[in-house]
Amino acid sequence: MTIVIIGNPNVGKSLVLNRLTGSNFIVSNYAGTSLEISEAMLKLPNHEIKIIDTPGVYSVFTMGQDQQVIKDLLQKEKPELILNVLDASNLERNLLLSFELKELGIPMIVLVNQIDRARRLGMQIQRDRLENILGAPVVFFSAITGEGLMELMQMLEKNIDEFAWPSRIESFFEQEKKPECVFQCRECSIGSESCLSSEDFRRAEMARYTAQLVVHGQSETQRYWMEKAEKFIDRPLSGTILLLALVFLGFFILLKFIELSEGPISALLYPLNLIIENFVANLLPPGIVNTVLSKAIPEGLIIPFTIIMPAMLMVSFLMSILEDSGLLPRYSVALERVGRLFGVSGQAVIPLSLGFGCRTPAVLATRLMPTMAERFIVITILSIVIPCAATIGVMAAVISAFHASLMVLVITMLMVLMVLGFIISRMMPREEVFVYELPPLRIPTNKNVLKKVRLRFAGFFTEVLPLLLVMNIIIRALMESGFFKLFHSMEGFTRALFGIPADAFVAVLVTMFQRYLAPLVLLNINLTPREATIAIAMISLSLPCLPVMVMTVREIGFKGLIKILIIGFITSFVVGAALNLILPW
Amino acid sequence: MYLKDMRTGQSGLVVKISKGHAAERRLFEIGLVPGASVEVVSRHPFHGPLLLQVGNTRVAVGQGIAEAVEVEINSSSGSTP
Repeated sequence: MTIVIIGNPNVGKSLVLNRLTGSNFIVSNYAGTSLEISEAMLKLPNHEIKIIDTPGVYSVFTMGQDQQVIKDLLQKEKPELILNVLDASNLERNLLLSFELKELGIPMIVLVNQIDRARRLGMQIQRDRLENILGAPVVFFSAITGEGLMELMQMLEKNIDEFAWPSRIESFFEQEKKPECVFQCRECSIGSESCLSSEDFRRAEMARYTAQLVVHGQSETQRYWMEKAEKFIDRPLSGTILLLALVFLGFFILLKFIELSEGPISALLYPLNLIIENFVANLLPPGIVNTVLSKAIPEGLIIPFTIIMPAMLMVSFLMSILEDSGLLPRYSVALERVGRLFGVSGQAVIPLSLGFGCRTPAVLATRLMPTMAERFIVITILSIVIPCAATIGVMAAVISAFHASLMVLVITMLMVLMVLGFIISRMMPREEVFVYELPPLRIPTNKNVLKKVRLRFAGFFTEVLPLLLVMNIIIRALMESGFFKLFHSMEGFTRALFGIPADAFVAVLVTMFQRYLAPLVLLNINLTPREATIAIAMISLSLPCLPVMVMTVREIGFKGLIKILIIGFITSFVVGAALNLILPW
Repeated sequence: MYLKDMRTGQSGLVVKISKGHAAERRLFEIGLVPGASVEVVSRHPFHGPLLLQVGNTRVAVGQGIAEAVEVEINSSSGSTP
């Protein structure tokens, strides 16, 4: 048996799936977290049920990309049951979708989620009345407290034989392809791309009427203090100031944490390091392989732990709080004007800020952008300008090692962000449609935050650590073998153009493909602060890492990636040359 | 009168939306349809976005949208400017 979960964005569909099946899908407090379809198995005493989670939609009868995904899914999977998840505190808008789903004729259970929050807001929902109007069983559910979980499972177990995929549904999907419906859709039961049918309005009316009928007593007790905080934050001046203050606080905590943790971690790892070094050195016969491995392995272990781990840990934590509290979408509103300068709408704030964690999921999150042109702009900026957590850790280490200028680097990055955004957006067609739903503010639960930190941080062990170890051995081998010396003839060229020695330029070229490697290569060269600043700037503003490239091809195709790579190379070289001209010392 | 002309705290009924089908669809999805009541929660300066309360949902819309939504002000929520 197959069940499909359908509901509005940000009503907690993924959390419902997690509760039901015990799986671990990422849950956030903003619209559009589940951009892809995920599925999991629910094991009941006598049955096994496949449950499929879908991207949030407001309507299944419209023509968007997400709606098509759901329609295709329904036709392919032929589910016996739809689990329609609603947000209890927002029934009016949610019910619109329920009325649409009702017309499909697939058996349905309506899950009124976040019932605990609705009760706190003082709302009473009349369950039997709602069941009568919708003609479907209603379950009050709270993914946070677990309310309704047993009831739902029992309901599934008991009625499992009654659920079935209706045969008449095929003709229903055909209907929207009829020419009459395209030209005179007001007469059809499904609206079309070009207009809203009278049925659309009837359903909207029904939803409004139903919500009024079944929900009681919401206005008196709405003075809940979260709402007060919301009022404060949603005021333009006080809110923007508070949001910016929080960003500064976040970066301050992040940098302090990196600074404070490096000492203890390396002190802790130092003995271990010596043991590994001695072990490797004694294991292998003396020679170049011995030298390379005995140096590279301990180094390849200690750098990720001291430099990258703290940054990744802290960024994961801060990002999780930002997501779950409902603050993140508020940034898109506060920064909407600023974003316009770069040719993107406020929605871009979400993928861009996710990029500070890891850029790979951030590229996926660009699906939130309304147009393909804007997606390209955001992916380009993400790939070239935004430093991910691992990069931040790496850069912080190199900056302090060479006393490079942090201020020059930050200003350079901001300048590139502005110039790049400005140029790309002028090359793209624009249309100003900014509509974004703001979720209610919530206090993040410890459990959810911890889970997210764990999920985000898993990449450290599966990706960062092995990659760095392998790359470190390769780089060490190249250095010991004298390969890099071959580039010394370029010294005159690199000095003249970028003001850095040939060694550093080679380092720049290597690290363009993998920024984590910057410290490994650079720390072995003697650089003045000026040279280091230029080299780090060129590295920070270059190409996306390999996982991001793969994701980019998946999302916007090979051509898009090629364009981004070309822009990346140009940016890096222009930045190097410009800094060489500008920097005085 | 249009949404963009409304002041903070004013509420009204949506009369008409004229901003192309894609935008109308988008607005329909979040409940901003003719007949719906909206309240302006706040306005960001420099032609920034408007925060609206539509039913139980808080929605931010850009100026492009605010210029296209025609509203009828509720007389109880303050006089027209």
